[in-house]
Amino acid sequence: MAETAQNLLLGFSVVLQPSVLVYAFIGCLVGTLVGMLPGLGPLAGISLLLPATFGLNPIISVVLLSSVYYGAMYGGSTTSILMRIPGEAASVMTCVDGYAMTQRGRAGPALAIAAIGSFVAGTFGVVGLMLLAPTLATFALRFGPPEYTALLLMGFLVLAYMTGGSMLKTLAMAGFGLLLGMIGIDAMSGYTRFSYDIVELGDGIGIVPVAVGLFGVSEILLTAGQPVPPKVQKPTLRQLIPSREEFRLSVGPIVRGSLIGFLIGIIPGSAHIISSFVSYGVERRISDHPERFGNGAIEGVAGPESANNSAATGAFIPMMALGIPTSPIMAVMIAALMLHGISPGPMLITQEPELFWGFVASMYIGNVVLLILNLPMVGLFVNLLRVPYSYLYPCVLCFCVLGTYSVNNSTLDVWIMLVMGGVGYAFRKFGYDLAPVALGLILSPMLELSLRQSLAMSAGDYRIFLERPITVTMLVISTVMFLISLKPLFFKGKDWRADVGLDEQSQPPGV
Amino acid sequence: MPMTRTPGATGAWEAIRTDQISGAFLLLLAAYVGWEDRVFPVGTLADPGPGFMPLLIAVFLGGVGLLIAVFGGKSEPFSSIPWPEARRAVLILVISAAGAFALERLGYRLTMIALLVFFLGVVERRHPFAAAAVAVGFSVITYYVFSTLLQVQLPNSPWGF
Repeated sequence: MAETAQNLLLGFSVVLQPSVLVYAFIGCLVGTLVGMLPGLGPLAGISLLLPATFGLNPIISVVLLSSVYYGAMYGGSTTSILMRIPGEAASVMTCVDGYAMTQRGRAGPALAIAAIGSFVAGTFGVVGLMLLAPTLATFALRFGPPEYTALLLMGFLVLAYMTGGSMLKTLAMAGFGLLLGMIGIDAMSGYTRFSYDIVELGDGIGIVPVAVGLFGVSEILLTAGQPVPPKVQKPTLRQLIPSREEFRLSVGPIVRGSLIGFLIGIIPGSAHIISSFVSYGVERRISDHPERFGNGAIEGVAGPESANNSAATGAFIPMMALGIPTSPIMAVMIAALMLHGISPGPMLITQEPELFWGFVASMYIGNVVLLILNLPMVGLFVNLLRVPYSYLYPCVLCFCVLGTYSVNNSTLDVWIMLVMGGVGYAFRKFGYDLAPVALGLILSPMLELSLRQSLAMSAGDYRIFLERPITVTMLVISTVMFLISLKPLFFKGKDWRADVGLDEQSQPPGV
Repeated sequence: MPMTRTPGATGAWEAIRTDQISGAFLLLLAAYVGWEDRVFPVGTLADPGPGFMPLLIAVFLGGVGLLIAVFGGKSEPFSSIPWPEARRAVLILVISAAGAFALERLGYRLTMIALLVFFLGVVERRHPFAAAAVAVGFSVITYYVFSTLLQVQLPNSPWGF
């Protein structure tokens, strides 16, 4: 514990430098704006800002990008509550009761509780990250290729099990992403696969054009031609103060949401999105008055908002400790670190203590910045929502071109982004979730390499996966999860996901 | 604008389900990848070659696609998907593709100005002055921030700007 405190002090000594603080503030500000814009989610926002970090040092880069990430988590709630437009997918559940509260003239308290819940959950998540990541990193030193293979397989099956909607569709999208990851030079044999004589494809397809295309461009295509935005309420500072009763009702959901979000954040998948659905479902289930949900229950705002922020922080644990991205956003963060010559993984915390602990400390600061930024400045931020969408989307699209091009100075990346935009648009029309594509793309080379290394270690004997306790445990969990996931295909009846709002029917369209 | 269909075709579109179409597409995609993969040595189960993993994933994707199509009988009819934005979406993609083509030929600033003028002035029919102001402002400001301040390399036009 004393060592942790000492490390945290080191982190604060790094982060409390004016230059880092300025970037944390800029990141929170940009993130909040990105979260509010319907065409840009945190993933597209982070991807677009990636080129802006090239000239910065690694610590500032990570601080900037992670500030954008949790800033976007906060920002998404504002449009959900005031306009019933989720700025990003994790805020969908906040729309339900948040907007109902706005219609009843309680927009201010809804915004305040969302911000306070996000602050508490974000801080809880950072404490968890601080305590868990070093322990997990030490444990991960025992991991060899077979363990990584099993872990990655488990990741995909957990993703399929936990995600909203059809498991088959999730697996299909993961498969599509895995196939995209096969493009380029095979690290073990040197063969160039599926490159169609395009030299640049030898390096494979990058995560940035795919992420921006799937999540940024496809959103623009889906929302193109939408009418003028509705009138926006602009609460004053005085109107933000929740009543005593609203505070009392929010405490439990914030605590439970923080815990649920953190636990879901650690496992692979679009954790911040799933966690908000689960939290909403749990709150509705345990409430004495479930009929209030959907009609402006403050618990329906407090729980999901806390959960998605806690999950956003929790997702950094496997990324920092194992070097494995559990979500597309983490994949972009890993790409950002790798651009600076740093590989996340078990050795990161010991080899780059300033970076890891500086990052942890920056999250504490980021949470405070966001609380200060979000509440008093909400009136200023909502002005952005008054900009007509016909002006907004062409600028966002040009940002997408700029951000994608400048990662590798490659026009091919822009073409890939546009193709992925079209593909993402079509898949979304057919009810497919796109997050597994990005995850599959980034995990595909890791999975192939670890599988082939494992077989090379065992001279082709597959029993290597059954002889190691960690591998066996993970494979058993994966198999059980896969079998449970198949159950709804063959047996009728509701499974637990329907109870917490994760089934296809209980999700709003367009998620 | 909604897509129009001939009355005779309506029955067929009603019968086809969304999951059947998407499942069949995934199956075809998997078959294509499997066909393309034939040029790479697959190796053996004990010693996989460069073609092994793509084939394995293609088989997996094909299997999942088949299951989606088979169990897709109860999904939404294809005709129930609304396409009000489709025409504009295609237009946006085509204009963006032209922008991608022009980016290294005309340079960043000219391409962005042309793209925004076209989007705002032609597609969205905004006031020409407003469209021009936004286009030039966006182009100049983003070039200054990214290229001058953040040292990101952006292409210049053959005329040097």
